[in-house]
Amino acid sequence: MSVHRDTVLIVGATILTFFLLTIGFFVLLGKPPFEMIGMLLTYALGDGYSISQTLAKTTPILLCALAAAVPGRLGLISVGAEGQLYAGAITGTAVVLAAPDLPAALMLPMMLVCAALGWAFYGYVPGILRARMQINETITTLVLNYVAVLWVNALVFGPWKDPASQGWPATITFPGAAILPALPSSRIHLGLLIAIALAIGLHFFFTRGASSQKIQILAGNRKVGEMFGLNFGTWVIVLMAMGGAIAGIAGIAEVSAIQGRLQPTISIGYGLTGFLVSWLSRHQPLIILPVAFLVGGLVAASDALQLFAKVPAASAIILQGLLFAIALAVPGIIKSMRPNYER
Amino acid sequence: MSADLLTFLGAWSIATLRSATPLIFTTLGETLTQRTGVINLGIEGEMLVGACVGFAVGVATGNPWLGLLAGGLAGATLSCLHAALVLGANANQIGSGLAVWMVSLGITSYFGRALVGNQVTPLPDLGSPLTDGVPFLGIFFGQMTMSVPLAVAAVVFAAWWLAHTRTGIQWQAVGESARISSENGIRPKIVRFKAILLGGLLSGFGGAILSVDYTQTWAQDMTKGRGLIAVGLVIVARWKPALVLPICIIFGLAEVAVLRMQTAGWSISPHLLATTPYLVVLFILIINHAVARRDTNMPADLKRVFA
Repeated sequence: MSVHRDTVLIVGATILTFFLLTIGFFVLLGKPPFEMIGMLLTYALGDGYSISQTLAKTTPILLCALAAAVPGRLGLISVGAEGQLYAGAITGTAVVLAAPDLPAALMLPMMLVCAALGWAFYGYVPGILRARMQINETITTLVLNYVAVLWVNALVFGPWKDPASQGWPATITFPGAAILPALPSSRIHLGLLIAIALAIGLHFFFTRGASSQKIQILAGNRKVGEMFGLNFGTWVIVLMAMGGAIAGIAGIAEVSAIQGRLQPTISIGYGLTGFLVSWLSRHQPLIILPVAFLVGGLVAASDALQLFAKVPAASAIILQGLLFAIALAVPGIIKSMRPNYER
Repeated sequence: MSADLLTFLGAWSIATLRSATPLIFTTLGETLTQRTGVINLGIEGEMLVGACVGFAVGVATGNPWLGLLAGGLAGATLSCLHAALVLGANANQIGSGLAVWMVSLGITSYFGRALVGNQVTPLPDLGSPLTDGVPFLGIFFGQMTMSVPLAVAAVVFAAWWLAHTRTGIQWQAVGESARISSENGIRPKIVRFKAILLGGLLSGFGGAILSVDYTQTWAQDMTKGRGLIAVGLVIVARWKPALVLPICIIFGLAEVAVLRMQTAGWSISPHLLATTPYLVVLFILIINHAVARRDTNMPADLKRVFA
């Protein structure tokens, strides 16, 4: 990975523009901008508790980003992590509900594997549609997001509802054996470790070995790849399913470690946020790691800001949207300012 | 017996048309945008902004028409962001659409909170003494508002305009090849900018019809993927404005069938029933593929976006 002069310029300009727009945003809200940004930083990284909150948000974002990055390496734009996250929560929870008495040593692996395997399927479906029918994967993954969320709703309002929970739609509280182990008195749980391990593993998968070369060739030029006898469709399906599996783990990790039971709202848009992180990092797992941490900090801090400074919750989404827009705009603008730029 | 049947048919057909109307405007807008070779996933966001602003203005002024107008303008305004990113900075079109959507999700949930629970004056229905009590027509016109004929007129006009006017043909040329059209004295970026704006306008208008005319309420993220569904339906409509009408009506029919199943007391989870529109659009896309095999009518420059 060579750090290019252009990359530094692009990243610098993106951060600077984002900083300026954030100031503008807070001014528009009628809040003192620098104080607000200071508070954002404090609530993201200020003390042990803030860092624990940030890492708790980082975990699903990191997993969803990896889920988007895997198909992204092939040039696919999969925005299905949100739905895959919900779908993974369903299959993972199914294990817990079917056998609540399993010991942790069996329960946790089974829960995770079912969340991943079952919902590799949720990536597999758009993969097949894209590979065999040329149906655009962005549209199908986006549409399927809504379906998975509704499935979770149907289950927790219906057959999976804990009768003891009166009106509240949720499953039974997970038994201790089904809760991912976490650091004492924090929300940092095993999911984070899994996510980091996956990021490192994916880095090697995408930079070393025969399959990485195949993916690179296919991503660069599909026709050349197919002349080599590589099957684009097969790789689409494999990578989409892999992405789905990773997002599935994010889902069950949230349910098990953070909420302790399945309820209608598992994610606050982690899928879309993860996609943004993956895009900002150009689908490179090792860059995704720090970016997910930064964006996780932004999400966690805006939660705190909402509580203490009465800044609306929606501002986190607005800021993410702005960040996305800037990241899209900056490279093109820099390129067009080059003297030898051809229109 | 036959009077019952007529009432039944009347109720179904008007319900279908009304549920399809917001989608007709949005799909038509996206079709025209894509005909110039630009895909805009941001119409989901533009529809949402249109629904939010349209509802707000409708509530504030008490005039639903002003609401619809404001919704359309809001959609067009937001679409400028997509235009700036795609045309100004050569950004990835799909990424840019998603950014637009994200911004709009945030903005509408911020400003929309104050709107929840408000009442809006709906458009008047078109029932008149002339049709009241007439078997089919009575219920048909009694539940119809101007939005339905407007949607049909918009589709007919757009189909004619695209095929038979000088500018319409220029738009098509740009969609096939920006290079060749610019060699022929057309400025592709200007055409695409106009097309993105028009798409935003129609999507915002469709969104406003959803909140002001159809549901007559505002809820956070109320479009629930309708804009994304519209992007899918454009493919099924083969990028032909005229086909937007039947495709959206099929879709509306499915939605109405689901609503009727619910009220008829089917013991299916309402959440499962709510998945139908999404599954229907996937199903239609698959059928479309089985029938057509290739994206033959896809504007050539648009293919590059997906290459």
